Amino acid sequence: MTSTALPDDKIDRQANPQKGTTLARREAWAGYLFATPALLGLLTFTALPIIASLVLIFLHYDLLTPPKWAGVENLTRLTSDSRLFKVYWNSLRLTVGATLLNNVLGLLLAVGLNRAMPWGLRYLLRTSIFFPVMTTTASLAVVWRFLLTQDRGVVNFLIGQIGLDPVPWLSSSAWALFSAMIYDVWKACGYLMVIYLAGLQGIPAVYYEAARIDGAGFWQQFRNVTLPLISPTAFFAIVISLIGAFQIFDNVYVLTEGGPGDASRVIAMYIYEKAFRGFEMGYASAVSFTLFVILITLTLLQFLGARRWVHYE
Amino acid sequence: MATTTGTATEPVTLRTRYRKSVWLRLGEALLWLLLIGIAIIEIAPISWMFSTSLRDPKNSFDLPPDFWPTALHWQNYLAVINSPDIEFMLFFWNSLKIALIVTAAQLLTCSMAGYAFGRLRFFGRDILFGLFLASLMVPATVTLIPSFIIIRSLDLMNTHWALILPSVTSAFGVFLLRQHFKSLPEELLDAAKIDGAGYLRIYWQILLPLTGPALSALGIFTFLASWNNFVGPLLFLRDWDKFTFPIAIATIRGYMGSGNQSEVLAGIMISIFPLLVFFLLAQRWIVQGAAITGLKG
Repeated sequence: MTSTALPDDKIDRQANPQKGTTLARREAWAGYLFATPALLGLLTFTALPIIASLVLIFLHYDLLTPPKWAGVENLTRLTSDSRLFKVYWNSLRLTVGATLLNNVLGLLLAVGLNRAMPWGLRYLLRTSIFFPVMTTTASLAVVWRFLLTQDRGVVNFLIGQIGLDPVPWLSSSAWALFSAMIYDVWKACGYLMVIYLAGLQGIPAVYYEAARIDGAGFWQQFRNVTLPLISPTAFFAIVISLIGAFQIFDNVYVLTEGGPGDASRVIAMYIYEKAFRGFEMGYASAVSFTLFVILITLTLLQFLGARRWVHYE
Repeated sequence: MATTTGTATEPVTLRTRYRKSVWLRLGEALLWLLLIGIAIIEIAPISWMFSTSLRDPKNSFDLPPDFWPTALHWQNYLAVINSPDIEFMLFFWNSLKIALIVTAAQLLTCSMAGYAFGRLRFFGRDILFGLFLASLMVPATVTLIPSFIIIRSLDLMNTHWALILPSVTSAFGVFLLRQHFKSLPEELLDAAKIDGAGYLRIYWQILLPLTGPALSALGIFTFLASWNNFVGPLLFLRDWDKFTFPIAIATIRGYMGSGNQSEVLAGIMISIFPLLVFFLLAQRWIVQGAAITGLKG
C-alpha cells in the first residue's frame, strides 16, 4: 500500500521501463510464464493434432499395426466414395434447413420478446425458450426419441388428435433427417434468439422514434430499421449456425443412429464411424480434411464477407 | 362539447394513426402467437419428461401423455439411484468432478495467457497470440482423430484425464480475457506498479477482480460444455464406473429404454436437474454471457 518504502533505483527504472533492460527482461519472463500453460494446451491438443491429421491423410493406419505409407490413395478414394456424397448431401440439407429455421425463428422471437411486456411474462417466455439450449444434446435426444416413436409416441398422438395420420418420424428414410432438423431447431433456436436479442438491444431507440414520426408501421419499421441494423448480428449468427450445424453429431447419433440405412447419416458421424468403427484412421482423416476445408471457407467468409453486404450503422 | 372533441382530436397526430393500422395489429398478434406457441413447444418435452418420470412404470407408455404430473411415483428416482447394476450417483460425481476441474483449469490458464497477451510485452507475443486466433478457426470435429491417437499414446484411455487434459485451455477463452484485460485503464496498473506490486499480484489482486462478467461467462459456458460433452466420453471411456451422465444415459436407453420409459426419464431428470437449478439462479448471467461470448466469437 505505502509507496514510500521503494528504493530509489526501483523508482528510477519504473519511470523509464524501456531503459532498464532488466525490467524489460523480467516482463518478458513473466509474459512467457503466464502464457505457458495455455500455450502447452494449445500445442498438444490443437497444433499437434492438426499437423498429425495432415500426415495421417497419407497413411494407412488401423491403430493396431504400424502405419503404412498410402500416398494419395486416401484422397483418390474420396472421389469414388458414393456414401460420402450421400452423407454430405444429408449434411447439407440438414445444415441449410436448420440454419434457415433457427435464424428466422430466432430473429422473430427476439423481435417479439424485445417489445414492452410485463417483467414476469418476459422472464417466463425467455426462460422457457432458452432452457433447452442448456440441456444435454445427447440426453434430450433420448427424450425426443421417445416422443417421436411411431406407435405410442406423444407427437403422433397429438397430431392424431387433429386428425392426421401417424408419421414414421425416425423409421422412414423420408422423415429421419427432417426429425433431426426439428430436434436441432428445438434445441438451438433459443440460442439464436438470445444473440438476436442482444443485437436488437444495440439498436438506438431514436431510429424507431424517427420511423414512427414518419408514419412507419410495424412491418415498415421491421423492414427499414430492424433488418438493416441487425445485419451484422445476422451475418455472424448465420455463419456460426452453419459451422455448428455442419458438425452435428450427438443429435443424430442418439436420435436416429444415422438410419434407416444412411438416410440421416451426417458427415461428423461418417468420420466417427470410419475412424472408430472401421479403424481407417487415414481415410477418416482425409474425410475430415474435406470438412475442414468447408468450415474454414465459411469462417473466412465471415471475416471477408462481413464488409461486403453487411450494413453498419 | 368542446372538451370532448378536444380530447378526441388531440392524439390523432401520432398515436391513433399508429394504433389504427390493421397490419400492425396483425403483426403484433402473430408475434404473440409465435412467442407463446414456441415457448410451449420448447417447454412441453421437458414437462412431459418430468410428468412421465413420475408415472408408475406400468403406465409409462400410456396415452394420452401427461404434461403435468398426474402420479407421484417418486420410487422411479429411488430405483434409478439405488439400481443394483449401475451406480447412478457415480455418474453425477464423475460429471461434476470433470466439469469443475475443467472450468477451474480453463479460467486459470485463459486468464493467465490473457494477461500475458493483453498486458505484458515480450518477444514473439503477437505471433503466439496469432496462433491462438488461428486455432479458433479449427473445428473440434477435425482434430478428433489425432486427439484420440495422442490420448491413446499417452496411455490415458479410459481415464478422466482424457477428458480433462484436452480442455485445460481454450483459444476462445484466451481471446475473450485478453480483450477484457486490454480494455482496463493503464493508470490502474501504473498505480499498482508504483505501489511495488509484482506481476503475480497485479494479475491476481487487480486484474482478476475487475474481470468478473467475462470470467463468469467463460466459467458458465465451460462448465456447461463439459457437463454436456458426449463425444469425449464416447471416444475415451470404456467402463461404467468412469462414465459421465450423457454417455451413461445414451447407454442405459439401450438396456432398458424399451421396457421402462419412466425410469430412463427419471435418470435424465436427475442429470439435467443441476442445470435447471443453475439456470434459474443465474439466468441473467447466462443469457448475457451467451450474447457476449457469442458476439465476440
